[in-house]
Amino acid sequence: MSVRGAAAGGWTADEGLALAARGLALGYGRRRVLEGVSLEVRRGAFWCLVGPNGSGKSTLLRAVLGVIDPLDGDLWIAPDLASRRRVGFVPQRCDLKPTLPMTVRELVLLGLTGTGAAGRESRADVSWALERVGLAAVARRDYWSLSGGQRQRALVARGLARRPTLLILDEPTNGLDLAAEESILELVAALNRDRGLTILFVTHAIALAARFATHVALFGGGRLLAGPRDEVLRGGHLREAYGVDVEVVLGGAGQPVVRIGPPPGAREAPGKPAGCP
Amino acid sequence: MTAVIRIVEEFLSSWQYFQEMYLAGWALAVLLPLVGVMVVARDQIFLGAAVAEASTLGVAVGLWLASAGPLAGEAWGESHAFLAGLAVLFSVLAALVASGTSRWGAAEAVTGWVFLAAGSLAVLVISHSPHGMEEVHRLVLSSIIGSSLGEVLVFAALALAVAAGAACCRRRILLILTDQEMASALGVRVRAWNLGLSCLLGLTVGLSLRASGLLYTFGCLVLPGLAARNLCRSALSVFAVAPAVGLATSAVAFVLAHHLDQPPGQMAVALLCGVAALAAGWRRVFPRA
Repeated sequence: MSVRGAAAGGWTADEGLALAARGLALGYGRRRVLEGVSLEVRRGAFWCLVGPNGSGKSTLLRAVLGVIDPLDGDLWIAPDLASRRRVGFVPQRCDLKPTLPMTVRELVLLGLTGTGAAGRESRADVSWALERVGLAAVARRDYWSLSGGQRQRALVARGLARRPTLLILDEPTNGLDLAAEESILELVAALNRDRGLTILFVTHAIALAARFATHVALFGGGRLLAGPRDEVLRGGHLREAYGVDVEVVLGGAGQPVVRIGPPPGAREAPGKPAGCP
Repeated sequence: MTAVIRIVEEFLSSWQYFQEMYLAGWALAVLLPLVGVMVVARDQIFLGAAVAEASTLGVAVGLWLASAGPLAGEAWGESHAFLAGLAVLFSVLAALVASGTSRWGAAEAVTGWVFLAAGSLAVLVISHSPHGMEEVHRLVLSSIIGSSLGEVLVFAALALAVAAGAACCRRRILLILTDQEMASALGVRVRAWNLGLSCLLGLTVGLSLRASGLLYTFGCLVLPGLAARNLCRSALSVFAVAPAVGLATSAVAFVLAHHLDQPPGQMAVALLCGVAALAAGWRRVFPRA
């Protein structure tokens, strides 16, 4: 069920829909961060949310998670997801501090908070999640002794412990090296492909979005452009969102590559010596 | 071995005279570390000192009200319950102010401000009252001698309640202490929990300060938690080991203090500092894997 808004009736009949928004406005207090947001996320889709810093990506996630309420418009979430029992969340890793010792298993167990799972059931959920991310062998190790990539995998396992049907990841690859970033994306893509998980993945890496996502939500200027990946990741849309020439092209190995040019009009601005502010 | 038995026998012979003091000190040595783990987990060690100092200000304000202020001449103005109530009120307020500002990244600055403001005002408020100054000095120096059976029962009941609450809500508490964004995302009412935990910190410190003084309260609040986090491999075991460290160290400290004719509060805190340092050294030699 759930929503916040009047148009819920139009969406409830569509069982393939995980969440939908129409004319949604989001913000904090009187400050509006996003306006006119409309999108439909179908089950099994892999959505990447891309855009400049402060453009509202995390704000939309907070609304989906029920942490903030819409200022205006409608946000509908499928009944099985509204209770958050089957919603997994992976935050940015920098939110954690090594103030307490914590085993990997213990960290993953925290993902079951609020589900009521206990005893054998919770142990099975944790083991399942650890196996999915390839960390079963280090379950008893100290979380803080793991590498950056392994820690992020552990956080993904914590999100998976609830056996979610919707997995929300808020810039989970921030600060990771390229190999670790690739590994996390491969893992999430496999979960989407093999288990049909619906994914909402916030990232700054347009090339990764071009490679893994089925759909993209492009944030910029308080607006949102959402749709199938190839329709959204076009030069014109990206230039509008980022304010610079951005283009996604296929590289030598057939992998998407992002080319970034000077800001629009920079080539036509003569007379400024290099190095001047 | 014989010497140890003799020291313990000496201590037991004093039991009938000081049993309330010993029991109150040990109940606090269990209660304060349980609450202190939450302070240690949030890396807000100095918050414990600031809240204890604010509690001292509460007692000073109570003494001023009863001696020179509007309650002068009122018998209940100097009663234990009135002063303990003000101690709790001020420490709860300090805990709420300090934790409420943590969202803006100013927690450390506000904690320092609370500590300094409370420390200076506590003396200024009652500087012209010899009795008041004596009481504030007693609180700052720490003395557990004045504890009553009623206080022992209150501390023991509170320790049991906190232990039971922590056991029931361990997963939720741990998530709030380590990752508030995740807790919000999972539907935990983070603001309400933070409010509750701040009130618990204020209540515990306020009650403890009146009975045992600033040094013993602050020492038992943070040192067992600091030692336990180096001794344990898992977060949940810290909640069990910290009160055990507090109780065991206080027990040894009270026996030693009696034998050497030293103040028990200071002895306990000195030993706890030693235990915390040894635990840190042990963890350095044997890092977690």
